Amino acid sequence: MSFSHKIDEWMKEAETRPESAVTIVKLIARRLRELTERNEELLAENIALQNGTRVEEYQKRIAHLEYQLDLLKRRFGADEALLAELPARAAEISTLSLLVYNTYGRLFRLEVDPGLQTLGRILDETLASSEQPRLLAIPSNEEVLLLFTSGRVSTCAVSSLPAVEAGGTWTWDQAALPDEPRAGEMLACIMPLSHLPLSEFFLQVSRRGCVKKTMTSLAQSILGNHYLGKSTLQKSDQPFDVLLCQKKDLFAFVTLEGKLLGLDVDALPYNAEDRIRLTASDYVIASFVPHPDESMIFVTQTGKVIQRASDNLDLSKSGLAKGQALIPPARLEQGVRFIGAASVREEERVVALDATGSLNVHLAEAMIGAGSIAAGGLVLSIGVLSPQVNP
Amino acid sequence: MSIKVGIDFGTSNSGVAVYDGQHVRLLPVDPQNVLPEVIKTVLYITRDYRTSIGQEAVENYYRDNVNRQRRFVKQWAGEIDVYGSDMHYVRDIYVYVDELQPGRLLQYLKTALRKEKYSGTQVFERFFTVGDLAKTYLSLLKQRAEDILGEPVHSVTLGRPVKFSELPEQDHKAQETLRQAAHESGFKEVDFELEPIAAALDYEQSIRKPQNVVIFDFGGGTLDIAVMRLGDPHRREVYASGGVDIAGSDFDRTIIEKRMLSHFGLGRVKHHPEILEMIQAVPDWMALPYLGTPINKNILDKAIQAGIAPIQVRALRGLIYNDLAFTFYNRVEAGKIALSNDGATIISLEDKDIALWELYTRHQFETDIQHYLGDVEKVLLDTIAKSGLEPGEIDAVVKTGGSSNIPLFSSMLARIFGREKVRESNAFTSVVAGLAIKAKM
Repeated sequence: MSFSHKIDEWMKEAETRPESAVTIVKLIARRLRELTERNEELLAENIALQNGTRVEEYQKRIAHLEYQLDLLKRRFGADEALLAELPARAAEISTLSLLVYNTYGRLFRLEVDPGLQTLGRILDETLASSEQPRLLAIPSNEEVLLLFTSGRVSTCAVSSLPAVEAGGTWTWDQAALPDEPRAGEMLACIMPLSHLPLSEFFLQVSRRGCVKKTMTSLAQSILGNHYLGKSTLQKSDQPFDVLLCQKKDLFAFVTLEGKLLGLDVDALPYNAEDRIRLTASDYVIASFVPHPDESMIFVTQTGKVIQRASDNLDLSKSGLAKGQALIPPARLEQGVRFIGAASVREEERVVALDATGSLNVHLAEAMIGAGSIAAGGLVLSIGVLSPQVNP
Repeated sequence: MSIKVGIDFGTSNSGVAVYDGQHVRLLPVDPQNVLPEVIKTVLYITRDYRTSIGQEAVENYYRDNVNRQRRFVKQWAGEIDVYGSDMHYVRDIYVYVDELQPGRLLQYLKTALRKEKYSGTQVFERFFTVGDLAKTYLSLLKQRAEDILGEPVHSVTLGRPVKFSELPEQDHKAQETLRQAAHESGFKEVDFELEPIAAALDYEQSIRKPQNVVIFDFGGGTLDIAVMRLGDPHRREVYASGGVDIAGSDFDRTIIEKRMLSHFGLGRVKHHPEILEMIQAVPDWMALPYLGTPINKNILDKAIQAGIAPIQVRALRGLIYNDLAFTFYNRVEAGKIALSNDGATIISLEDKDIALWELYTRHQFETDIQHYLGDVEKVLLDTIAKSGLEPGEIDAVVKTGGSSNIPLFSSMLARIFGREKVRESNAFTSVVAGLAIKAKM
């Protein structure tokens, strides 16, 4: 059937039932917008192919994959010859970077000096009132994936980001902008890519607790098309985080009002699905993959630290759960809210960003023991300084 | 005395209800469904023979199958004797079996009952007869009902179409297979009621004086019509009943055949009978997974490389090899349902290798299914004629079943009987409600 014949049929519908004309126009307009966006992406891709950017990107990716292969071989002892090169590479890996980034795509990279207690300070008067920056520790020779709220993704090497001197003070104007968010989108999160070959799923969670898993076997197509998806069902919802995980892993997320929800990755569907009932003002503030030998810590804006053993995580079986309350309702009424959560080992260090802009390092064991962390103002964000280096 | 339930074992949806003499209680047997009182008539059987029904079955199917890996192995299936004029030899037959297939989703269990030449299906190592499939579904449904009621259920009134089949022997056989399945699933006492008559019993609860009523039960598998005198329980009379094998699943198939196949290469692929055969199999989603063999993949890959309708053939490959057929079929059905209220809708499927988008209007839908209208009208008028009544003597026409909401058929009823006589009833629950009332009688 020719396209013009189809149009004739649509016209007949509009003539028979004039009220259908509005619906048809709306549906076609929506399609036109989708196609325009797709066309723009294809044109951009064309330009990248023509000017060689894409070739460079693929060369980088091949180099990265070769490196991943090396790591895998070392892990499984497959190639004895490569072990000889180990010391040089180990030294390279041991440099740990802390990424501090905001939703506008601005990002600081600090090379972490293990001896420093205060890593530096961000000068920003709107820090406490605006969307809180997030923290990610990652070896300097790795690559990261940037997920935007439109579902778009891009990758960049950590080493390609300019590093700021630890211990200094900075403003966001000095921050790097590796991939500027496009009109209408924001940077949702940054995820390390090094475990991609060893992981089975990308696991996404949205601000309103909508969860979706995607097989990493599709990674080539996802990275190639620069699109992972939003994993949201509601229009007002936005992607919050993406993690890599295995089929046998558990997954947990925590909300501002202290609701903890545990999920079995294997049982999760491939479709986006709302998993938690939230109040209108509540939203997800942290998500992580808990491991059996680690503790879960939950930090409030006042610096209070709540610790739970990972094996105490209740798994939600139902479609739409209430979540496990971390604090009693009375505390919520007093204004207590959660700003971060993570799965940590006691010997690991946790970096906290407070409202004065200071980035302070705390030992997880001490935080759990004291039940709080000392900060110059309200705590805004936390990150674990565990170098995610393959052993 | 144990409780007796009414079960509507429908082609697309089923339900369970009980009646206490005052009120009908529809049991929420599928809490995961949008309407918990309605449960999809689908059965999922895993490789280790764990079974699930309804939305749970659909979820399990999606979880285990969509975009999964496949590994085909050649298996000996049997042998055939080949006879020639002066020779005879035995030839081995092999089939490719996907040894990673995690489970099978089975739909249209009721339709299988009335198919003369269909005895059952192989599910991995076991052969399930039609009765086994119905028994498995009814057992799980019974279990859910018992969990809700908190007591065992030993008796049931099952709904049945006016005609399972045009052939009386096949009709009888289908009912007896269903009866046996119900017994084997644990019901000690089983009786039947015609589905349109059950819908009439539900409608009777709402009228105060005797009426001549036409029940127009147009569901997923069949159209059933009954002309009855209702309103006085002591003088209830069935004047005539009739039916025809036209219903929702036929309309879905028609939409796919007329509107969707071009997205998978029909009209563009020529002189490639193997590919055309695969395209023609698209309307049958249950058959589609079996096309996913290495040989077919090779054929499709070569066609894509050779530039034979590459976009459409790639979409066909995605549909078959990513197990998207069930999703696709549901999208088509959802589009059809949307056209009962809207003048236009979108049928779309975006996934790996597939970007299907089709604006579909009610005018197009009505044109596509126009040829069914004549058949439906004929069986309706024949049934009325058999009852000895004239259309003008009918006091009310009660519509039930999902397909009865299609405006083309609503208009037909209004044209024949007058708009004011056409009554809406709950499309998905009026039959089961009537069966519960019958169970109490």
